[in-house]
Amino acid sequence: MKKLDNKTIVLGIGNNGRQDDGLGWLFLDFLKSEYTDFDLEYRYQLQIEDAELISNYQNVIFIDASKDESEDGFSYYPCKPSEKYSFSTHALDPETILYLSEKLYNHEPEATILAIQGYDWELKIGLSEKGTQNLNSAKQYFKESMLNKHHSINKYY
Amino acid sequence: MNNRKIVIEPVTRVEGHGKVTIKLDENGKVEDAFLHIVEFRGFEKFIQGHPYWEAPVMVQRLCGICPVSHHLAAAKAIDQLVGIDPENLSPVATMLRRLLHYGQVFQSHALHFFYLASPDLLFGIDAPAEKRNIVAVATENKELAKKGILMRKFGQEMIKALAGKKIHGILAVPGGVHKTFTPEEREYFLDGKEIPNVDTMIEWSKEIIDFMKTYHAENTDWIDSFARYPSNHLSLVDKETGALELYDGRLRSINSTGKELMNIEDIEYSYHFSEAVEPWSYLKFPYMKAYGRENGWNRVGPLARMNTCSHITTPLAEAERVIFKSYTKNFPNNMTMHTHWARLIEMLHCAELMKELLLNDEIMSNDLVRKGTPRNKGIGVIEAPRGTLIHEYHTDDKGLITKCNLIVSTTHNNEAMNRGVRSVAKEVLSEKPEITEPMLNQIEIAIRAYDPCLSCATHALGQMPLIVQLEDHQGNLIDEKVR
Repeated sequence: MKKLDNKTIVLGIGNNGRQDDGLGWLFLDFLKSEYTDFDLEYRYQLQIEDAELISNYQNVIFIDASKDESEDGFSYYPCKPSEKYSFSTHALDPETILYLSEKLYNHEPEATILAIQGYDWELKIGLSEKGTQNLNSAKQYFKESMLNKHHSINKYY
Repeated sequence: MNNRKIVIEPVTRVEGHGKVTIKLDENGKVEDAFLHIVEFRGFEKFIQGHPYWEAPVMVQRLCGICPVSHHLAAAKAIDQLVGIDPENLSPVATMLRRLLHYGQVFQSHALHFFYLASPDLLFGIDAPAEKRNIVAVATENKELAKKGILMRKFGQEMIKALAGKKIHGILAVPGGVHKTFTPEEREYFLDGKEIPNVDTMIEWSKEIIDFMKTYHAENTDWIDSFARYPSNHLSLVDKETGALELYDGRLRSINSTGKELMNIEDIEYSYHFSEAVEPWSYLKFPYMKAYGRENGWNRVGPLARMNTCSHITTPLAEAERVIFKSYTKNFPNNMTMHTHWARLIEMLHCAELMKELLLNDEIMSNDLVRKGTPRNKGIGVIEAPRGTLIHEYHTDDKGLITKCNLIVSTTHNNEAMNRGVRSVAKEVLSEKPEITEPMLNQIEIAIRAYDPCLSCATHALGQMPLIVQLEDHQGNLIDEKVR
């Protein structure tokens, strides 16, 4: 339950019981096996209490599957606070979480989103072939950026 | 004016998919109104053939808000399949399951009050729809929002400490629990270093009850009259004393004036209850056989529990219950909006109970699992945050499940919610020249007071939306609001 003294938290969003919707969680599995300098959280959805959680960190990375077309199979871009929300408020966007962190806790961590393109979303465990390829591409890219010890990955913005 | 029908779809700030249809006559008067539950999953069917020990793990997937309640109700039933009745569970297993349960009720009630109900109370039923949400609450009422977040977090952290995960974790195994509590885990909830401690939870629970009492004093007419109607009330109560009991007890029902209708052992439920069906909803309508479909239905949940119990065992919550009961001169309270008040008293009770258990060294002992003579039938009944939850399993001699029956809290409240919808529709919509969004929100408020979990009730994987449709007397759709 106690966090290590890490400065970065990574939130993987999705559901591995729905094929490529599990991309975010599988990316966290990869981080868990390779690195110790991140705190990791698995989420079905982001909720308002995640604003309190990320307010304790300098950096936050949101990782989720995406239906959007991406030339490299994934995209990595800055997350900026936004007041937008859906009618339900059961599932909040990363931008809204960031907005609430700033509003409630006067802290806006440096935030990025890693969106990995998925294709199949049925009630089934296991990624699609192209989803697996995109996951591997994202892992490779992340390794390279982390080995360089910085997040200078603006070319994908 | 022609006859019309209004449909609200989806119902918002509830769990799962719901839809309301309101039928108006030629003069615009409300003829009838229905809450339809439009999702279906069939959990009771597909669990058949699975080994009994999978039930507490699988059935909690019904819900992402109250999985602990399903986990524990199933566990109580599965205990019986391995020959263990509740009184034969080891003391530490009982205490840890209770601690898990109180953490669950605490966080679920916090979620409902702060995230789902408070926008209506803080901003008013006429506030713009885009403002009636927790993000606006957080922006305009920072301290309240921060407390709400940390109270929910406390309950979730308790669940995580005991079950390994905040959602869909596992503590119970057949005949007990699989882990004990460590001194480090206990200190986490007592020392206040990383999260506000249990004493702070008690203090904040008292504060929020005071907020509710003040709100009630300032809005008495609305709170007292909105969606008010007589009903029976059902819950577990302590087997010996009749006190408020959330984990294990007897099933007691009283009518709207306080007459006792039923007081039975929980495992006898099937002899006393039946379930009706209607063609317009996947949600069944449970009722007490002795009183029939029309008169035998019950409300369940916080308001019902305040009505059926004789007292509360923890001092601060009991003091609040006495105040609550004095408002109705100790008669049953049938005011639907008082459910919010009752819910907050239960939060205080759970906080006090968690403190009691955390201070008991026995929660760190190791007598975790017991075994008896196997049986082929088990029934687990528990008070989930939203009310009485019943799980029943039958197995063959290989331990494979042959039959499963679930009666979920929201199912018990089906008739009550429909009456609420009808009551508010007639009060608010009848003979009005125009149907406005705030009018429709009042229909939702009547449903929301029950904190319904429509996903659980139909055993479905739910999103959340609600629809309201307006129909003429021939069933033609005239207007529709969808969120």
